[in-house]
Amino acid sequence: MIPQVPAPPSSPAIDPPAVVVSNLRRAYGDRVIIRNLNLRIERGEFVALLGESGCGKTTLLRALAGLDPIEGGRIVAPRRPAVVFQEPRLLPWDTLWRNVSLGLAAPDAYARAAFALAEVGLGDRLDDWPRNLSGGQAQRVALARALVQEPQLLLLDEPFAALDALTRIRMHDLVRELVAKHRPGVLLVTHDVDEAITLADRILVMRHGVIAFEHQTKGAGPASISRGDLLAELGVVSHAAA
Amino acid sequence: MSNLEQTASASGFDRAGTGDTSSPSHRGLAPVIGKRGLLLLSWLAPVMLVIIWEIAAKAGWVSPQVLPAPSKVLHTAIKLAATGSLLGDLRVSLLRAATGFALGGSVGFTLGVLVGFSRIAEAAIDRSVQMIRAIPFLALLPLVIVWLGVGEAEKIFLVALGVTFPIYINTTLGIRQVDPKLIELGRIQGLGPFELIRRIVLPGALPSILTGVRYALATAWLALVVAETIGAESGIGFLAMDAREFLRTDVIVLTIAIYAVIGVAADAIARLLERRLLAWHPNYGGSR
Repeated sequence: MIPQVPAPPSSPAIDPPAVVVSNLRRAYGDRVIIRNLNLRIERGEFVALLGESGCGKTTLLRALAGLDPIEGGRIVAPRRPAVVFQEPRLLPWDTLWRNVSLGLAAPDAYARAAFALAEVGLGDRLDDWPRNLSGGQAQRVALARALVQEPQLLLLDEPFAALDALTRIRMHDLVRELVAKHRPGVLLVTHDVDEAITLADRILVMRHGVIAFEHQTKGAGPASISRGDLLAELGVVSHAAA
Repeated sequence: MSNLEQTASASGFDRAGTGDTSSPSHRGLAPVIGKRGLLLLSWLAPVMLVIIWEIAAKAGWVSPQVLPAPSKVLHTAIKLAATGSLLGDLRVSLLRAATGFALGGSVGFTLGVLVGFSRIAEAAIDRSVQMIRAIPFLALLPLVIVWLGVGEAEKIFLVALGVTFPIYINTTLGIRQVDPKLIELGRIQGLGPFELIRRIVLPGALPSILTGVRYALATAWLALVVAETIGAESGIGFLAMDAREFLRTDVIVLTIAIYAVIGVAADAIARLLERRLLAWHPNYGGSR
């Protein structure tokens, strides 16, 4: 039995949002990492979050994933989000289908895992070990493991950063295709300005624990914002752009 | 077994994409001799030693009272096996070792899991265990004899004591070494505490636990030899001490050989277990 992917909703406005964050506060002791952050991501919306190292973007992602406690505010999400990290985090002692079905409490877990692996182009490697995979393949398994949960919110923590340039481009296409099909809300944390412009419907720049800049590319298209503008927002003065 | 190694290393090369089929571990002249030749060479020295020993004994250079010829020892083995006494003693010894191993292994594993998971259990248990571990466990033998007398209980207790610590230490260590990122992943995938332990913590700790098992097998065997030599009415150690009374060096050498063979067999079983259970692990199931 091949599991059915839920039909795409007719209008995103009717669906409950993938996540609503209000007045979020995160601090380690006296050091405030995130202050009064508000964010709403709709289902099917692809949001990229840029920012310098230490600006709090990974902290935000970890709070959304429910990995860290929050000191203030509210995070409302209908279901447990799925996460893909920079490293694939596959269990080396489990075969690929066992890795993908980890935590999947369905009687047809095998069929679902097989379907998810086929979606990422690894349908013929169900019983292979993670150690036989390349970096890109391992990351595709991690993506399958996230999507097999049918998440309403998908958190991507620099998932392409460790991949070579060609593999990264292929991964971009695959992620775009699968997100369009499964329609989760996506928050992509990245350092890569070009990646954000190509993939996102909306681009956020985080600075000192708040969202300092927001740009809607959806409808306007990727050309509506230049690389130089975004780099300037990130505090990089690009002479080539001027 | 060599077949298994070859398949494993071949898949390793596929991944590297070199397509080279020769083993990288060959050094110097080794490729000329080949794998089979190296194996043959490694057996040459021990076989030569036995032959020299046989010649020395047969020629009368060594008194049979000191060291009987290997052929004589083999002859004694066949004779004792035929009367059934050797197999009976062997069975008794193996049973003692197995019982002690099961008891000590269970205690060590249980304590190890507790301490590996819980900081409270660590605070409560670990220091005491480490202090007891500082005592060479064979030094406790006189005390154990006072407590339990010279009997089955004393021997099994001593074996269990020797097994507990290596299993305990390696279980704790293994659990501690499990990648926290994988545990975090388990939480994200919605695993409950029981599933987290079953799917992530124990498999991650298994290489270390199996190292503990191998080490414990050696200690168990050592404990058994000592316990049976001190006082026993049956078992391989009894056979040796009984033979000493009558200056039967052939029987003594035989018991030593039996101890050695069983020790090697136990280690081989532990290695096999590692290969089977750690097939996923590049250091065990892979090219070695």
